[in-house]
Amino acid sequence: MNHLILAPVILPALIAPLIVLAMRFDVTLQRVFSTAATAALVIISAVLLWQSSTGAVQVYELGNWPAPFGIVLVLDRLSALMVAITNLLALGVVLYVIGSNWDTRGWHFHALFQFQLMGINGAFLTGDAFNLFVFFEVLLIASYGLMIHAGGAVRLRAGVQYVVFNLAGSTLFLFALGTLYGMTGTLNMADLAVRIAELPEGDQALLRVGGMLLLIVFAVKAALVPIHFWLPNTYANAPAPVAALFAIMTKVGAYSILRMYTMVFPPDTAATGTLFGDWLMPAAVATTIVGMVGVLGAATLSRMIAFSVIGSVGTLLIAIALFTPQGTIAALYYMVHSTFAAAALFLVADLVQDRRGKWGGDLTAAPPIVGNGLIAALFFTAAIGMVGMPPLSGFLGKLLVLDAARDHGQMALIWTTIIVTSLIAIVGMARAGSVLFWKAHAVTAEGGGATLAAGGDEVPQNALALTATFGILSTMVLLSALALPITGFLEDTAAQLHDPQDYIRAVLHAVQDAPADALGDAGVDAPAEGRAD
Amino acid sequence: MEALVAISIGTLTASAIYLILRQRTFAVVLGMTLVSYAVNVFLFASGRLAVNLPPVLLEPAPYTDPLPQALVLTAIVIAFGMTAVVVMLALGAFLESGTDKIDMKDDDNAEAKR
Amino acid sequence: MSLALIAALPFLGALLPGLMIRAGRNACAMATGSVTALALIGLLLHAPAVVRGEVIQARFDWIPVLGLNANFFLDGLGLLFAGLILGIGLLIILYARFYLAKSDPMGQFYAYLLLFQGAMVGIVLSDNVLLLLIFWELTSLSSFLLIGYWKHLPEGRQGARMALAVTGMGGLAMIGGMLILGGIVGSYDLTVILQNKDAIQASPYYLPALILILLGCFTKSAQFPFHFWLPHAMAAPTPVSAYLHSATMVKAGLFLMARMWPVLSGTDAWFYIVATTGLITMVLGAVIALFKDDLKALLAFSTVSHLGFITMLLGFGTPVAAVVAVFHIINHATFKAALFMTAGIIDHEAHTRDIKRLGGLRHLMPVTFVIGSLAALSMAGIPPLNGFMSKEMMLEEAAHTGIAVGVFATLGALFSVAYSFRFIAHVFLGPKRDDYPAKPHDPGFGMWAAPALLVALVVLIGLMPNTMVGTLVATTSGAVIGGELPYYSLKLWHGVTPALFMSIAAVVGGFVLLKGHGGLQRAWNGAPRPEAKAIFDAFVDLCTRAARWVTDLAHDGAMTRYLGIFTVTAVVAGTAAFWGGTHGTGTRATLPMTPVAVVGTILIVVASIATAALHRNRFLSLVLISVNGLMISLGFVYLSAPDLALTQISVEVVTIMLLLLALNFLPKTTPRESSPSRRLRDMVVAGIGGLGVGGLIYAILTRDLGFTSISEFHLDQSKPGGGGTNVVNVILVDFRGYDTFGEIIVLGIAALVIYALTEALLSGPAGRRLRGWTPDFPRAGDRHPLMLVVATRVMMPMAVMVGVYIFLRGHNEPGGGFIAGLVVAIALLMQYMASGFAWAQARQKVQYHTMIAWGVLAAALTGIGAWFNSRPFLTSDFGYFRIPPMQEFELATAMLFDVGVFLTVVGAVMLALASLSRIARRAGEEAATEPMDIDPSAAADGGSMPQAVPANRTEEVR
Repeated sequence: MNHLILAPVILPALIAPLIVLAMRFDVTLQRVFSTAATAALVIISAVLLWQSSTGAVQVYELGNWPAPFGIVLVLDRLSALMVAITNLLALGVVLYVIGSNWDTRGWHFHALFQFQLMGINGAFLTGDAFNLFVFFEVLLIASYGLMIHAGGAVRLRAGVQYVVFNLAGSTLFLFALGTLYGMTGTLNMADLAVRIAELPEGDQALLRVGGMLLLIVFAVKAALVPIHFWLPNTYANAPAPVAALFAIMTKVGAYSILRMYTMVFPPDTAATGTLFGDWLMPAAVATTIVGMVGVLGAATLSRMIAFSVIGSVGTLLIAIALFTPQGTIAALYYMVHSTFAAAALFLVADLVQDRRGKWGGDLTAAPPIVGNGLIAALFFTAAIGMVGMPPLSGFLGKLLVLDAARDHGQMALIWTTIIVTSLIAIVGMARAGSVLFWKAHAVTAEGGGATLAAGGDEVPQNALALTATFGILSTMVLLSALALPITGFLEDTAAQLHDPQDYIRAVLHAVQDAPADALGDAGVDAPAEGRAD
Repeated sequence: MEALVAISIGTLTASAIYLILRQRTFAVVLGMTLVSYAVNVFLFASGRLAVNLPPVLLEPAPYTDPLPQALVLTAIVIAFGMTAVVVMLALGAFLESGTDKIDMKDDDNAEAKR
Repeated sequence: MSLALIAALPFLGALLPGLMIRAGRNACAMATGSVTALALIGLLLHAPAVVRGEVIQARFDWIPVLGLNANFFLDGLGLLFAGLILGIGLLIILYARFYLAKSDPMGQFYAYLLLFQGAMVGIVLSDNVLLLLIFWELTSLSSFLLIGYWKHLPEGRQGARMALAVTGMGGLAMIGGMLILGGIVGSYDLTVILQNKDAIQASPYYLPALILILLGCFTKSAQFPFHFWLPHAMAAPTPVSAYLHSATMVKAGLFLMARMWPVLSGTDAWFYIVATTGLITMVLGAVIALFKDDLKALLAFSTVSHLGFITMLLGFGTPVAAVVAVFHIINHATFKAALFMTAGIIDHEAHTRDIKRLGGLRHLMPVTFVIGSLAALSMAGIPPLNGFMSKEMMLEEAAHTGIAVGVFATLGALFSVAYSFRFIAHVFLGPKRDDYPAKPHDPGFGMWAAPALLVALVVLIGLMPNTMVGTLVATTSGAVIGGELPYYSLKLWHGVTPALFMSIAAVVGGFVLLKGHGGLQRAWNGAPRPEAKAIFDAFVDLCTRAARWVTDLAHDGAMTRYLGIFTVTAVVAGTAAFWGGTHGTGTRATLPMTPVAVVGTILIVVASIATAALHRNRFLSLVLISVNGLMISLGFVYLSAPDLALTQISVEVVTIMLLLLALNFLPKTTPRESSPSRRLRDMVVAGIGGLGVGGLIYAILTRDLGFTSISEFHLDQSKPGGGGTNVVNVILVDFRGYDTFGEIIVLGIAALVIYALTEALLSGPAGRRLRGWTPDFPRAGDRHPLMLVVATRVMMPMAVMVGVYIFLRGHNEPGGGFIAGLVVAIALLMQYMASGFAWAQARQKVQYHTMIAWGVLAAALTGIGAWFNSRPFLTSDFGYFRIPPMQEFELATAMLFDVGVFLTVVGAVMLALASLSRIARRAGEEAATEPMDIDPSAAADGGSMPQAVPANRTEEVR
């Protein structure tokens, strides 16, 4: 029993209450513990990643109850990867937050932050469908708190919208789970996979409904058109570092789709077939378009970034909707990339808005800001990462997606969409950048006064904030520099996903060991042979 | 019996959706509460219905399916937490902005003020 | 030196200038120069081998899954271009050192320049088309930076963005083309692709691939109709114009066409597209160039024209034409770079580039005059300079291709003669003027050294072509053609050929044209022409506004619409999924409809519809909704779910209390806002949604489960494995304790969020709003009525007892930590309601934060406890104990876990309430310090009782 698998969940779950209990009046203590915990999480997830790279699927049976009767955590390459991304991103964000003093602008930031991590990590690790719901709720309610951190009328109203929309999503989640349980009598993902493969024919229609509702739930999280509407206002109005952390939230949805629809509803399932891919692909294409057009049309920096997030999610889901190993490799690579690209952009946006005073994030000319050159360089880097220009990972990601889509029926549509939207995004970002950083000099040239002062006193903390931003940016460089080992790992990950037998066997092995009298007939010993043959 | 449960869930959901589509936060909150009732019963019913067979092992078998009940318990608690948050949030938004409209047409593009 | 290293050097070197600038401008230039020089030496070391016909390679795996690998190869073509890039780069670096002003950030400039250089070298050395694409886009980026180098100039900003948009577009199109090509061949390696001419030209995807790739080439090489970005790129500092926009980057398109020549050329499509584009570009560029008064604009358009010249030759598709193209690439690089530098010198010394304000400079700037004139004559194609030879051979090829082509080619040549002469005549010749913006004079050696060197080449190549570039042309052409070299000879005198007459015509005509220039210029300025930049800007602006319009229209914050769309999506997708599958009607025996159940259902239906219908009266709707809750909990009792019933009812109570307290500060009624049609629409949506859900559950309820539910196991194991007879509770705290763990954390977080929110509110404008709060509805005069107070006091201990009882029995009978927590919480709530928050708060010792934290910790630590038993998290343990004289009783670790649940629930509920009441107090409710408004203890001294009683009666009267 490898207790380390539980660590990404239990560690923040212990730190957060400790912060509330002992240090809720001392921000320095909070910072120390929060950072230390996040750093520890990074190390832990690195170890887990290393363990997963052997290809063995590790199962942690909570309460020592065998699957499918108890809840299990499952560590395979994919979950290890997602946990690693999450905590790495979190470390950058928490450092930035400390550097920019965001955590002093409201209550309980670090506690909520840790709970947030617990929720996300838990969602990635669980092997149980209902438990996935529970952890969705954990990460959502924590995100509500972070989103409205520091308050403000607009932010609160945007917060209401965010919460309401996600409540609707969670409700649908329960409807879907009810349907699935009502059809299969199980909640464990692996067991679901086994039973759905053997579903009585007359039940297929209802099962398809369940699967479709579930897909919509995940699509809401991933911000897929036409149910993406919660995203722009939320991301544009959330505190920028929180928005940066939220870059992983859309990926939770993407992850769930990847997990569920490669293992539980793979395209070769009799009941569902290619149903989900057929619905996902057009929506993903539309998402890419809506997002990138929004980048061009946005009037403020944060809103522009928010739409670029939608656009990247679209590209990501195009790759996922292929449901081929090649597509999955592309999807995973692009998922890692777009997470950090979006986060980096939001952090840079915060640096800009912090310094621009009354101009905030409006894309109109204002006098140049302190450290214009440096921040301009950061923005330029983040932007080319997001729009997918070389040498950063975005370009490689898009190449992978394009190459993977080669054999798809809609190949022409997919290629045109990705290529044209990239151009739109390039134009949009270039416009924003030149207004923010170049035109500024014209403003001074026209006697617009000197650069905006940005309180010299906060320069030391800003150093930390800048470092954090720089760190997140550098991940994109590493992603393309180390593409050889990374794509190698992703290749194995995709292989593992598209042949879920190892996963299923690892989870359900317990059935044989379980007390015989505990076993009913058909359903329960079905897993024994499972789809192993 | 099954028909009755289905009808109840249906009407609860319908009224809830109608409320959720209203333009004031309070109505939406009501809708959310109502729909959480609906979904709880739905989830509960996914274990099929049974009368006088509580899953308490003091009486002899058979028993109704206990698992959905446990799930619903969890769901109820979570729904309660969510409702509490959304109520307070709606209240806060109203106190801060002076309106309890849920649409944000007026200040859509406004940046968050720190 | 490895090819990879040659390509990498400039990138690595790009870090140097930024540092070295600290050591001064010379050190900075030296550092940059030495990087380039090093790369150039590394390259030249390979030259002999390449001339021998070898192909040098360097291969590294990068992304094998994609077929994108860092493979480089060097053949004649690569050698020529790499040589041009690094060689001219060296001269530019030298020139720029003296050109840039002290105020310009030189470190930045050289850094960008090296980035560009690296990208450019990368393009010409790549043996992998995807790798080539990467470098290709990098050149677009670095040129974006270099054009926008003078940030304060609007032309710079706009020119940069235009260049990026146009060349970026081409690059993206090329991605598509290259991917198709790779798909046809099955490899992205150029060396492989170049072997598969037949496969490629036979493929149905040949044409799309060709068009997409040519889009890239044409945009990069400023071919009509994409030529317009190049002149605007001239806003860049002159060294940049000379380097990127005449010598190297704009030749990348030509390079690629030459590179792909063996596999793409030779088809009709290739001929008509490429040759025609080239021809048009050549003539058009030449014509416009003649009428430009800005020296750099003139040179820019002449560059466009000469690029067209070369494109056309490649388009002809004949080996000889290819050779000529190669030859002219060399020649153009030499004289055009020299001309740009000359222009730069003039700008630098005379402080203007406007031809109208120049003239007679030969007296003031003799050196510049010689350099400039020689270069210009070569551009005009006057013997014995190198420009003449390539032009002759070009005209020869054009003549062979067809009369029309020949005529147009001559026309182009004619105009290029005209603008070249104009460059000389109107800048250097003529009388000396006295109105130059500055006092012009020859610059220092450092500045004219570079162009002088180039002009020397111009002359030497012209006089002894074979010795100078014979082998280079041969090797390169061999690489381009990829086969036997055709017969050709580089010499001045080809005898009396049609080409001779054509060029004579061109020279004479050009001379005449220049004579009549004044009139023509007026005519030209008068004539209406499409202004490419204006069109482009208008287009981009239109797109931007369209994008903003449509985006803001769709995302206008109309939450109601968003949710509507969400509902419809769910219903539509769900229905569609249903119809797609086979559905057998259920066969499960249904339970009988009892009258009780019917009545209950009717109540629920009525109450829920009423809630929706009467929701505008908010108090009433709360009452109605609680009827629903009540009925549902009764339903749970009826359907054998006692735990659910208990939970439902207690949650119901707390929720309603919360809503009531919140409503205190919200409007009490909802205005009727939505139009009847809108309401109808919503009703339809709601109705469909309800039908869908109802239908779904009915279908599930009326069929048997196809499998054995996993809950069979729970029923079997509950007692032996979990030590409890209440299976639901055992599932909650044991089988699925992890869910419950998450669930209480949700509660805890909820409380924290509410607390943090309240803090933010009280410190924000809301706080001020609250201070000025006036209750908008009448309040009971007696806010803490005696009866209620007494009742709650009596209830309190009972409630706690009940709570404890429910908690303890939970494991075996309906109950458990959560319900117990709620019961106790409700009891406390009653206290608060009765006696006001402040009073109760004063008597409440535990901090709610602490309670929640301990709750979560208790649950977590209980779970971790199992580790010491070397069991996984949350593994429960239980045993039976006996403390005489009491009877045996059971203790389970699950109960400890349940304690955590209990604490969290109480803490969370109370913290939420505490936050609400803090708002209330801010809103001016005076905090009561006494348990009730009238003091019964006063009854002790007689007489006061009578006052107390009426106080109560008044209470009853109300």
